[in-house]
Amino acid sequence: MASTMRNVMAIAGKELRSYFGSPVAWVLMGFFAFVFGYFFNVYLDYFVKSATQGGQFGPPPTTNVNNDMIRPLLGNTSVLILFLLPAITMRTYSEEKKSGTIELLLTSPLTDLEITLGKFLGAVGVYMGLLAVTVVYVAVLFGLGKPEWKPLVGAYIGLALLGSCFISLGLFVSSTTKNQVVAGFVTFILALMFWIINWFAESAGPQVGAVLNYLSVTQHLEDFSKGVVDTKHLVFYLSFIVFGLFLTLKSVDSERWRG
Amino acid sequence: MIEVQHLTKRYGPVTAVDDVSFRVEKGEILGFLGPNGAGKTTTMRVLTGYMPATEGSAVVAGYDVFAQPLEAKRRTGYLPETPPLYPDMTVREYLTFVARIKAGKLSTAERNERVNNVMRKAHVDDMANRACGKLSKGYRQRVGLAQALIHDPEVLILDEPTAGLDPKQIMETRDLIRGLAGDHTIVLSTHILPEVAQTCQRVVIINKGRVVAIDTPENLTHQLKGAATIYLQVDGAGDAAEALQAVPGVRTVTVADQHGSRIGYEVESEENSDVRREVAQAIVGRGWGLLELRPMRMSLEDIFLQLTTEEQVQEAQHG
Repeated sequence: MASTMRNVMAIAGKELRSYFGSPVAWVLMGFFAFVFGYFFNVYLDYFVKSATQGGQFGPPPTTNVNNDMIRPLLGNTSVLILFLLPAITMRTYSEEKKSGTIELLLTSPLTDLEITLGKFLGAVGVYMGLLAVTVVYVAVLFGLGKPEWKPLVGAYIGLALLGSCFISLGLFVSSTTKNQVVAGFVTFILALMFWIINWFAESAGPQVGAVLNYLSVTQHLEDFSKGVVDTKHLVFYLSFIVFGLFLTLKSVDSERWRG
Repeated sequence: MIEVQHLTKRYGPVTAVDDVSFRVEKGEILGFLGPNGAGKTTTMRVLTGYMPATEGSAVVAGYDVFAQPLEAKRRTGYLPETPPLYPDMTVREYLTFVARIKAGKLSTAERNERVNNVMRKAHVDDMANRACGKLSKGYRQRVGLAQALIHDPEVLILDEPTAGLDPKQIMETRDLIRGLAGDHTIVLSTHILPEVAQTCQRVVIINKGRVVAIDTPENLTHQLKGAATIYLQVDGAGDAAEALQAVPGVRTVTVADQHGSRIGYEVESEENSDVRREVAQAIVGRGWGLLELRPMRMSLEDIFLQLTTEEQVQEAQHG
């Protein structure tokens, strides 16, 4: 067990090092900070305007920093990661397969699970770095006002889980191809599918519709941003992640047989 | 130390390795010789646990590579055909990472010590802080070798360890490998023939996935020499072939080359009979000029070609 942990951390550390050793993580982080900052400004501006001007005509509207600013902001963030996370996961296996370093990993005394978990944690680590950027902005709000912390923490947990689902999906896709660009693109398409799958729910009839709604990754995000951490949604996200990792393991294993 | 039995690997309809069996004793260097695509890399990949075999068994350092892969891998160092380097890492970072995943639990000091050790052994210590992606081919190969040594494995599996090196580096690498034998059991593959003769104690010649011959380089040379051939150059004879053919023990005479009045002959004699003296006598006795006389030793190259082409001929006959 101790050795499993050590091996997983060794791989995760190597992944993190290679993300931050190359421009990938920094470019993504910069881009993310820029776009998030833009949204932050837009929402802040809107929020301040509606809070101050509203009072001129009739009673002052009830404004709430959580509902009117933080929630839509983090909602936008979830769209943003749909684009960014495939760029993080696309290289995980593809690059190793292309350069032949996968041979080093697969001939080392590591189990496939340790390698996959290490890569997963490494990518999640970069993602946490991205989210940490947003914490800086949100902290500003705490400096200026009194947002409720519960829905905020809930929203972050939801975002973290959603992102981890995409990462798990991305690992699987990356493990099936040597081509990073293909891996990134396919991951994006698949993630998008899970994103919009509930759009078809209405026209699909009650039974299928319910299933499609359930499969939609965004449907489960809603409650988190209200500060409710529901087991139902936790189970959905966690099983999504586990299933993605399972597929990754199977894909790596079948690659061994096929050479 | 290594025991391979009836190993077969198929990729769909293609049989890459077909019923290969061999064993390697502790401390021995075994050379795996064969043309490109003969199944050398596949065999090595099976031995290192990179891929499972379709049939057969392989035991490395006392552990079955299929049943107890982790134990076998812990005792095996592997240099794949392309050194598995991460271009962004420096040599030191890379070797530290490999030590982390291969050498098990070590204190930081111990790990650094190992990294320094293998860097010295593989002569890459002067590039310790250079990014792996910026290394020359020779250095890459040697960092790959350092990587294979980091957990002090009992068994070393080296896939074309000298490929892409310059002659000086090749010599150094061979010396290094020879120095490693004894402590380590080594299997190396190559398609360069002199390499086998110079480094290996035993040779497995493999062609089209099948083992064609296993023996020491000397025995292979000896065994296959069979009929000895000598080369001689005669001047002023016109045609000496008839006279040569008349010498007892001579089997065939062929004209090898001709420069004006100088004619070169290849004389093949019966097995185990040395006809040089009689041949010289026959030429000189007739008053011709004997310019050159030398045995044509069969090089490993000839043997290799002979073995692999024989195979083809047989196959053609069967087919």
